Amino acid sequence: MAHLLSFIVFIPLVGGLLVLLTPKTYEYLYKVVTLSSLGLTLLLSIYLVAGFDTGLQEAINTEQQLQFAEKADWFSFSLGSLGEISVDYFLGVDGINVTMLVLAALVLFIGAISSWNIKKHQKGYFGLYLLLSTSVLGCFVALDFFLFYLFFEFMLLPMYFLIGIWGGPRKEYAAIKFFLYTLVGSVFILIVMIGLYNSVYDPLKTAEAANLSVSGMNTEQIIEAVQQQVESGAIAKEDLVKSFNMLHMANDANYIPGSFLDKAGLSTVFGQPARWIAFLALLIGFAIKLPSFPFHTWLPDAHVEAPTPISVVLAGILLKIGGYGIIRTAYAMFPDGAYHYAWLIGFVGIFSIIYGAMNALAQKDLKKLIAYSSVSHMGFVLLGLSAMTVEGISGAMYQMFSHGLISAMLFLLVGVLYDRTHDRMIENYGGLASQLPKFTVFVTIAFFASLGLPGFSGFVAELTVFIGAFKSEATNGAIPFWMPIVGTLGLILGAGYYLWTLQRMFMGKFWVKDKHWLSTLKDLELREYIMLVPLVALTLLFGIYPALLFDLINASVISFVDHISPLAK
Amino acid sequence: MRAVLAQQNISLTNFLNQVAEGLGYLQPEITLVATLILLLLFDLIFKKNKAFGFTAIASIGFALVGVLALLQWSSETVSLFGGMLSLTNFSLLLKVAFSFGGLVTLLIAWRGKDEIKAEFFKSGETLIMLAALLLGAFFMTMTMNLLLVYVSIELVSIASYILTGLTGDRKRSEAGIKYLIFGAASSAIMLYGMSWLYGFTGTLQLDSDSFYAGLTAVPMLPLIIAMVLTLAGFLFKLGAFPLHIWSPDVYEATPTPTVAMFSAIPKLAALTIVFRLVQLTPDTFDWVPILTIVAIASMTVGNFSALWQKDAKRMLAYSSIAHAGFLLVGIITHSETGNEAMLFYGLVYLIMNFAAFFLINQFESITGSTKIDSLKGLGRSMPFAGVLMVLVMVSLTGLPPTAGFNAKLYIFSALWEAFGQQENSWLLWLFIFGLFNTVVSLFYYLKIPYMLFFKELQPNGIQTKGRSADYIIGTLLVLPLLLLFFRSDWFVDLMNTINFVF
Repeated sequence: MAHLLSFIVFIPLVGGLLVLLTPKTYEYLYKVVTLSSLGLTLLLSIYLVAGFDTGLQEAINTEQQLQFAEKADWFSFSLGSLGEISVDYFLGVDGINVTMLVLAALVLFIGAISSWNIKKHQKGYFGLYLLLSTSVLGCFVALDFFLFYLFFEFMLLPMYFLIGIWGGPRKEYAAIKFFLYTLVGSVFILIVMIGLYNSVYDPLKTAEAANLSVSGMNTEQIIEAVQQQVESGAIAKEDLVKSFNMLHMANDANYIPGSFLDKAGLSTVFGQPARWIAFLALLIGFAIKLPSFPFHTWLPDAHVEAPTPISVVLAGILLKIGGYGIIRTAYAMFPDGAYHYAWLIGFVGIFSIIYGAMNALAQKDLKKLIAYSSVSHMGFVLLGLSAMTVEGISGAMYQMFSHGLISAMLFLLVGVLYDRTHDRMIENYGGLASQLPKFTVFVTIAFFASLGLPGFSGFVAELTVFIGAFKSEATNGAIPFWMPIVGTLGLILGAGYYLWTLQRMFMGKFWVKDKHWLSTLKDLELREYIMLVPLVALTLLFGIYPALLFDLINASVISFVDHISPLAK
Repeated sequence: MRAVLAQQNISLTNFLNQVAEGLGYLQPEITLVATLILLLLFDLIFKKNKAFGFTAIASIGFALVGVLALLQWSSETVSLFGGMLSLTNFSLLLKVAFSFGGLVTLLIAWRGKDEIKAEFFKSGETLIMLAALLLGAFFMTMTMNLLLVYVSIELVSIASYILTGLTGDRKRSEAGIKYLIFGAASSAIMLYGMSWLYGFTGTLQLDSDSFYAGLTAVPMLPLIIAMVLTLAGFLFKLGAFPLHIWSPDVYEATPTPTVAMFSAIPKLAALTIVFRLVQLTPDTFDWVPILTIVAIASMTVGNFSALWQKDAKRMLAYSSIAHAGFLLVGIITHSETGNEAMLFYGLVYLIMNFAAFFLINQFESITGSTKIDSLKGLGRSMPFAGVLMVLVMVSLTGLPPTAGFNAKLYIFSALWEAFGQQENSWLLWLFIFGLFNTVVSLFYYLKIPYMLFFKELQPNGIQTKGRSADYIIGTLLVLPLLLLFFRSDWFVDLMNTINFVF
């Protein structure tokens, strides 16, 4: 199926336009359109995974490793003596983003079901939700930095309104805080993006612009010939076609010799090599989105104030864009920086794990507790990445996928309770198990999945991260041995806050603070089962049969580690 | 004796020839003057129902000016009146943009509340002054002579003073006087600086050899003093730090259509003068520190002051101060890409600002106020206008998918490139400050969408039904901002044909 990715990305947008064009008298259609367009997206992305070739082993910075790739010229213009800029419409999947794409499609679909209760301004809500969907999906598959940045930034606007209009009591504060934090991150990313495209050229387009005789050569030969000629200075500066292509940016050979971020790395900023600074800037930019300590403070506010479906989307997918961005840009483009700052990333990772867990332990609001547990779990992503081993990177990616499922589940469950009582304080409930047995079962499953009980996907993810992290010192020396050891403390704390919460809210004699809640506290209904059961099933499936996911990512992770590993050089 | 006379005679013929030839190139300006005179005569002759006549004369006049400027399009530089003026497609492009701005100003006035309509179309003064302002701005884009720089700046300024303080309204008179005093002081400083430059070089002609040679020979300190003094007058018109103080009061007091014009046209015209001065000064003089300080201070002061504003027009005044800083970045880079990026930014800025003021005017005509608070909940009852406003604010912040993002991207790319080549740490700081200022600006630009959509409508019985004419004009103004994001190459290709050499 041609243009499969474009369909996946833009079907929600079309749905959003339909919602906007539908008059208010047909209000029930908004939900139908939203659900059907996101359902279609989900089906198409499952179809894509079914057709995904897991055995394709190619270097991570070449276009050969991409599947379902689509590339078209978007715009290009001349910079005079400095060559030409070319921006492409470039989508594609490989092992690094295929899981994220499916996760996004799934969580967005479930979020749409969860939006069923939205009563206020439905047209605006569903229109913005679909707009958000397109930008999230686009962000995961865009491989042109300009396009990626467009999707990345465009996400903020619908999110701002979704939190700010449909959120809780302090929604305005939370919305602007979310927007400002993420924008600071985007500025860091933008700085590097400007530096990158000024330093990177597109070999094929340069061959065309410089009129090289390429007859009889295949693509790889042309690329090699161009790279040699640029290296020797045989191609004039005005013939260089500067590129936003993220794969080209991940290849040292495509950096213009003498440019600011070239592989020789002679340029310095603040006394540090420019490439390291660029790495750090990208890292900070995406770490804000992830979020990791010390940039995480927007997350609890945003989560507490956002309506349930938006919390689900925020925790389930938006955080993953941070992790994905670090892998796709920072690590792939500046592996030297990644290796140099591995200790820092590892340290911030374990710090987030423990700090997030301790904060969760101290929370009174159930939703805030889960928000902080997200910070803790995202720390595992950083720890896995910092190890720079196959296990570490796979574990980080597994953790992102697994956390996407589990956190969606957790926020849905909080939403269930909040729908009934409009209160989320842990201390206001006791012994819920006797009143809401089915709800309690699901909460228990979700808590156990999140704290990393074997049999659930979280366990596989965290175990793999730790294996990777422990292996690091012996193989590549990226992070010291003590880091994963300290990190395991997070598991204990995780068990601590979940079990304690379980005990406080669900065990013992039934008690609620407000008597009026007795009549509203009903057990799960069909719509909630529809959302929760698939998530539980998937969490179990990926916990029992991890190969399902590892097979998808393995080939790409191996070539990715080959690409970033300092030992391979 | 005879010989001398004969020679004088010849040079006089020469001179007259030059004038005659030069006048041929001044069709847009002549048309403007004709419009001005027609407005004046119409005002004197007719007594009743003047609104239609004024509208017709002014709009046809402005449109014709734009068309005439477009017809002159050529990539060659033409030197007029013995080098007093230099006509390039750079100035022509700006002239087209300015006459577009003039037309939009009329549109805004036409869609405005009744007092604004009355002021614009009941009597001729306002329109005449607008034409005079345009005329001054047109000359500012072409002049190569310090004296003419002064005269054209004064023409714009005086028209602006009158436009500000025209009616007896106390607030406006106050703003007008403030503007006048400030303007007079900066003009005096500028003239003093120019006199130093004249003293150094013996010429007022910016592109003459003796100007260049004179400046090369002068010691650095006096030259810096002279340049900074001269710059003062330009920065006043540009609305950049430290001569920006007049703008919030003036913006707040003046009717919205006039402010729209103030915010874009004199600013861009002044920008071309700074640009020309920087281009034509010898390389021995380092503009980077001076302009970098001005740019960083403008952005920071503008953005941080805008944070506290309660009036939309006042807020946009501070925003325009910040944008003046961004515009200067293009000049600081001193490169081909920088020039193009500056022009791109300038034109996008012009469109953004006119769109912003058009929409503010639309809301003003409903609520009768430009307070940001008065926008409460209006986005919900007028979603289309609300969405347009959000897009304009996003563009002013410089986020995708709007042309504001491309403008910022290109200008900072040019800066990055300049930094890569010169490794000048001033440029790095400018780069960092500039980009982080974007974050600050987001905070206040978002206030407007915040009021429009997050707040409930005030139950004070205002009629919130939008008019379709407003929607059409609004869309036409906002559409280019989206189009120039998705196809910014069209605009950049145009920039590539622009001749930045005078």
